[in-house]
Amino acid sequence: MAVAKADFEACQGYANCVMAAPTVYDIDDDGTVVLLKEQISEEERSKVEEAVKSCPVSALSIEDE
Amino acid sequence: MTDQSAVLADVRRGMIPAHIYNDQEIFTLEKERIFSRAWVFVAHESEIARAGDYVVRRVLDDSFIVTRDEAGEIRAHFNMCLHRGMQVCRAEMGNASHFRCPYHGWSYRNDGRIVGLPFHQDAYGGEAGFKRKGQRLLPAPNLDSHNGMIFISLDPDALPLRDFLGDFAFYLDYYTKQSPSGIEMRGPQRWRVKANWKIGAENFAGDMYHTPQTHTSVVEIGLFREPKAEKRKDGCTYWAGNGGGTTYKLPDGDLEERLSYVGYPQEMIERMKTSWSAEQCRVIGQDGFMISAASVFPNLSFVHNWPRVADSDDVLPFISVRQWQPISENETEILSWFAVDAEAPEEFKALSYKAYLMCFGSTGMFEQDDVENWVSLTNTAAGSMARRLRLNSRMGILADDTEVIPALTAEQFAGPGSAHVGYSEYNQRELLARWADHLERPVTAAAALHVGTTGVGEDRRAIATRNGADASDDPPALEHVPSEDAAEVTGA
Ligand code: SF4
Ligand code: FES
Ligand SMILES: [Fe+2]
Repeated sequence: MAVAKADFEACQGYANCVMAAPTVYDIDDDGTVVLLKEQISEEERSKVEEAVKSCPVSALSIEDE
Repeated sequence: MTDQSAVLADVRRGMIPAHIYNDQEIFTLEKERIFSRAWVFVAHESEIARAGDYVVRRVLDDSFIVTRDEAGEIRAHFNMCLHRGMQVCRAEMGNASHFRCPYHGWSYRNDGRIVGLPFHQDAYGGEAGFKRKGQRLLPAPNLDSHNGMIFISLDPDALPLRDFLGDFAFYLDYYTKQSPSGIEMRGPQRWRVKANWKIGAENFAGDMYHTPQTHTSVVEIGLFREPKAEKRKDGCTYWAGNGGGTTYKLPDGDLEERLSYVGYPQEMIERMKTSWSAEQCRVIGQDGFMISAASVFPNLSFVHNWPRVADSDDVLPFISVRQWQPISENETEILSWFAVDAEAPEEFKALSYKAYLMCFGSTGMFEQDDVENWVSLTNTAAGSMARRLRLNSRMGILADDTEVIPALTAEQFAGPGSAHVGYSEYNQRELLARWADHLERPVTAAAALHVGTTGVGEDRRAIATRNGADASDDPPALEHVPSEDAAEVTGA
């Protein structure tokens, strides 16, 4: 199962991830990324990979457990 | 600014100073006093049926993203980034859960709230420097819809839309409520003509007089059986509330026979009978008048026609919605939509669309004929001679303002407002009277909205905006209308 991870300290609130995978990432009122879910389905995986790639400060990752 | 009171007084007498159709100062005044105040049509709900659907539409120079947000609410966001003012959305239509500004990458949810503000902490020192919480794209000051037709007004204190439409709403149903599901709209086609915007609006409001002349060729080739001179004067024009239009008098028959005469299939007629009031049915069924063209002040028009299709005697009705979007005093962008009852059979929709394309839209035959005249009129109105000329727009009334043919009585015409048969320019006068009323009334300057800051010069709306969703004056949005389709979210 793939799991979405985020480094909340590193996040700079770009929202690239929200644009790429709005069902997985959001941004809270403080401008920091929020994980809407951690378990990533197969269908979502490509969007999440895109989000990971698009983060300008490399705050996101995807891990296979 | 030049004192225009003499111009307005002439217009109110039905004597039109010819230069108003190509006058830069007048246009500046129209921008300020009509288009920053009146309700202006921007889209139909069927154009943004699913969550995330959006269209970008303008009210003169102001671009708005008209969108259905994730919660299903319809909103109109001023399409200008809160950072340096870049246009946030540059596509004309699409589906997006978020919009990102191409300049520095700020992003917004489709309900307008800011979501991404890169390096908020590093660049602004976080909330201490820039209040990000609750910031949203500027909402249109007023937003409302009627029969799915979405209008916005730049005036926060505008009358409710329903009051603005007034009794024209009665006639609007013929175009937009032929069944409980209302219409679906396709398009728009969009093109520009070198003509003043008022000419088209006046023409559609009440110019039955031009049909036999301007559109002779269309009649000669047998495309349309109605616009013979004698037929047009038998129809009536009506004006009610903020709009009015023309009708044709149909041959003897009852409601069903007359709706079928213009080409509606039985199943559609059944739905019309239950969707319309007794009076709405009576105008057609008993009084014998079938609506044709119409305009709502300032720049929205409708068409309902029933041209012959193929080589048979069969006719097929179509509906079109159009907007005369002013570009300058001598240029207009025409937006033309095809509209059809959402519950109509697929075959009817396809044929009706063909009928529409044949008559209107950038390739339509009526369109070509009309625009020739309007461009030429606009050109001629620019010169100094035009400033001496007061055009007579008093058709239908005598020197003492009495009617050449008295208005139809309530027994003769069941609709609201006032209606007249015969050739006349009642509706053109009504439209321009509203034009004069608007031009006469100065506008008060709108309050400024300060982005991301507290302090001097800040006004009430800005504070309310910063407080976000719980603020007492949440930006205008339309209630969620549940739709059959599952909401689908896709990235931009
Ligand atoms: S893309 Fe990266 S920096 Fe931007 S919000 Fe997502 S995690 Fe944060
Ligand atoms: S102008 Fe839009 S992000 Fe800078
Ligand atoms: Fe015409």
